[in-house]
Amino acid sequence: MGEVILTMKDIDKSFPGVHALDHVDLEVRKGEVLALMGENGAGKSTLMKVLTGIYKKDSGTITYEGKEVEFSNTREAQDAGIVIVHQELNMLSHLTVAQNIFIGREFKKGIRIDDKKMNEEAKKLFDRMNIDIDPREMMGRLTVGKQQMCEIAKAISHDAKVIIFDEPSAALTETEIQELFKIIRDLKEKGIGIVYISHRMDEIKVITDRVTVMRDGSYVGTLITKDSTKDDIINMMVGRVIYEDPKTESTVPKDAPVVLKVEHLNAGKMVQDVSFELHKGEILGFSGLMGAGRTETARALFGADPMDSGDIYVNGKKVTIKSPQDAVKCGIGYLSEDRKRYGIVVQKSVAENTTMATLEQYMKGIFIDKKKEKEVAEKYVESLATKTPDVDQLVVNLSGGNQQKVVIAKWLTRDCDILIFDEPTRGIDVGAKNEIYKLMNSLAAEGKAIIMISSEMTEILRMSDRIVVMCEGKKTGELDISEATQENIMNMATREIE
Amino acid sequence: MSSGRFLTQGQKTRNLIEVGGRRVEKIKQNPFVKKVGFNRIVLCFVLILMYGLFCVLTQGKFAGMQRILSALNYAYFLGFLSLGVTFVIATGGIDFSIGPVMFCCALVSGYSLTAHGVPMGAAIVISIFVGLAFGLFNGYLVAYWSVPSFITSMASMNIAKGLASVFTKTQSVSWPQATAEGGWYRSLIKVGDIPVGLFIFLAVAIVCAIILNKTKIGRYILSLGSNKEAVRLSGVDVKKWEMISYIICGLLVGIGAIFYVAAYTTVQPGYGDQYNNEAIAGCVMGGTSMAGGLASISGTVIGVFIIALLQEGILALGFTKDYQLIITGVIVIAAVFSDVVARRRKN
Repeated sequence: MGEVILTMKDIDKSFPGVHALDHVDLEVRKGEVLALMGENGAGKSTLMKVLTGIYKKDSGTITYEGKEVEFSNTREAQDAGIVIVHQELNMLSHLTVAQNIFIGREFKKGIRIDDKKMNEEAKKLFDRMNIDIDPREMMGRLTVGKQQMCEIAKAISHDAKVIIFDEPSAALTETEIQELFKIIRDLKEKGIGIVYISHRMDEIKVITDRVTVMRDGSYVGTLITKDSTKDDIINMMVGRVIYEDPKTESTVPKDAPVVLKVEHLNAGKMVQDVSFELHKGEILGFSGLMGAGRTETARALFGADPMDSGDIYVNGKKVTIKSPQDAVKCGIGYLSEDRKRYGIVVQKSVAENTTMATLEQYMKGIFIDKKKEKEVAEKYVESLATKTPDVDQLVVNLSGGNQQKVVIAKWLTRDCDILIFDEPTRGIDVGAKNEIYKLMNSLAAEGKAIIMISSEMTEILRMSDRIVVMCEGKKTGELDISEATQENIMNMATREIE
Repeated sequence: MSSGRFLTQGQKTRNLIEVGGRRVEKIKQNPFVKKVGFNRIVLCFVLILMYGLFCVLTQGKFAGMQRILSALNYAYFLGFLSLGVTFVIATGGIDFSIGPVMFCCALVSGYSLTAHGVPMGAAIVISIFVGLAFGLFNGYLVAYWSVPSFITSMASMNIAKGLASVFTKTQSVSWPQATAEGGWYRSLIKVGDIPVGLFIFLAVAIVCAIILNKTKIGRYILSLGSNKEAVRLSGVDVKKWEMISYIICGLLVGIGAIFYVAAYTTVQPGYGDQYNNEAIAGCVMGGTSMAGGLASISGTVIGVFIIALLQEGILALGFTKDYQLIITGVIVIAAVFSDVVARRRKN
């Protein structure tokens, strides 16, 4: 094990009303991958922001390369060799790859920017990383995975000694994750210290050397990865064991009525001739790689994007869906993969978000009956166990899992028979994940039909009764849960590519 | 490291700001302040301070009833514009046509009155109708054709100016005096020394506040201003509600035109731009966010009073109207900037 390069000791940070970091310790060594784990809101990001100078710490010390340091902005941290690869990509899509990598420190020839030299330098970087990206390509044309690689290249080009990866795999396909791991191992060999923030337990086992766990803003402990089990880590994070085994058999009767039938749905390039059936009380998993067209299928079906052709039958009756309004009238609800952008209105309260789709039910003449609205919202806060001080709380102040519950409540008030959950647990911590799963199961048991789009294989295998697999806009397979395995799903999900 | 003696000047200032900020935070947590709104309390203080300042600077001349009534005259029509544009800004849009459209309303209806002999009641209806038509036009283009509101309203500003000029053959229009036939409309703002206009304006403001906070219209307008896509995906007809905000604005502009002529009687074609800025300043100063989703009617009302008082005060101090333009310009920038800062801090 290498020598210690970075030590954070007794770091304390408070915001008005929140003790975000409570005397947290962290130690990064040269040439190791340290996992930083914890539920959402555990303080991982805050800690990293303190490290890189985005937040000022209240107390504690940061020692880097034997000297005590305090950066006042990310630029200073960067210059010292501490770089973050952010979860959200900060790339300019209309610039080339090389221009993005060297933005803010362009090579110059006189007063002109020396694009040729930048391209060469970028090429060298990519060669070192062993990846094949043309530096002259427009950033916007690359896949999300490749963009992430560029972000990493940018980090390396800063001559980084410590690189922090903040949930790098959230948007990557399996193969891209493998590529990422190769790069990380490479960096490790070069003696760079790596902090790897992720929710995915499998990755942690594969790539990291040690795991530091945080909970509610405090330091819980550090484990050696190879000497500990999944359950050890999860126990430290939440204090209980929660992972369940995959579903082996569907509980939906074979003759359950078809509530939704989609035939030959076409919508742009991403949805080509997709057909499927959805039964009452069933959870239909949609599996596939990023960009397989699952979300696009759901959005076209829901009327959020225009469809080119295709027939939709709800309860046996043919319907026309041209807008979300039409879909809602047919009893379809859609929970978007991107809650912040498409699911919630952050500046509005829990109550106001809950009644967003059903406001007409809470009218008293021309006025909104706020009392009734509150009652309904409170009812759902209770039944979904949403953690919020009260229903007047603005949704922006809730954690990801609780925001998701508010979105679910919104559709439950509508009494939708068909619910589309698009990545229902993305960015949600393990504990809340489990609650969402339970909720989906009980909704299905009540007779609602659920389409669940998920990129997490474990989630698909655990929740689905049947599985539709898509690849590059086409449906490439359909499996009953009893015959589904990771391998055959993955086969179908990559069928078109090979 | 943290010993006070070694703090640099910059750090000291930063500490001072931090302590001040914490104190303000504490005041904001006070239940009364929370209920009324910190911003509005500050604005009320500003209003009172400004009045006091003008009184002192003019050696008491400003304290008379005459000045106040004059400021109120200015506040009425501007208030209607400001209330109207509050609805549009709440959706995240903007309307730069309100001033010229108000003039267009006053000119078209006034010309019908003086040249075509329509009765006063009908003239008022025409004014409101013209305002509504522009609101519908702006709203339809913005909501259904997705033309940016900035461009739409800039264009309709010119359309309003041109239309009014064509209609009145580039003549200014004088509405009847109080004593003349049909002069009753002037009692909309004043009967004797009673400022009737104030009561009407406040009553309309209350209705606006109710619409914005208690009805479906307001709920959807504010929600779509905050996150249009999320509201659309909830199955709400966002286009309709977005258009309605512009129609409400147009309606209020049409009413504002009547209060303009009731105060000043004469309207000239080709003008009205400056009132855009002043109305938007009143609205944004009152706490309505240019980013949409947040709006306050009471804030707008106080904001409008501040602008009107300012305009009266500047004249009383013997400055020309040009200074008014400069000051409102600065106010708009300051108000929008403070909104930007507030939002950045929240994020």
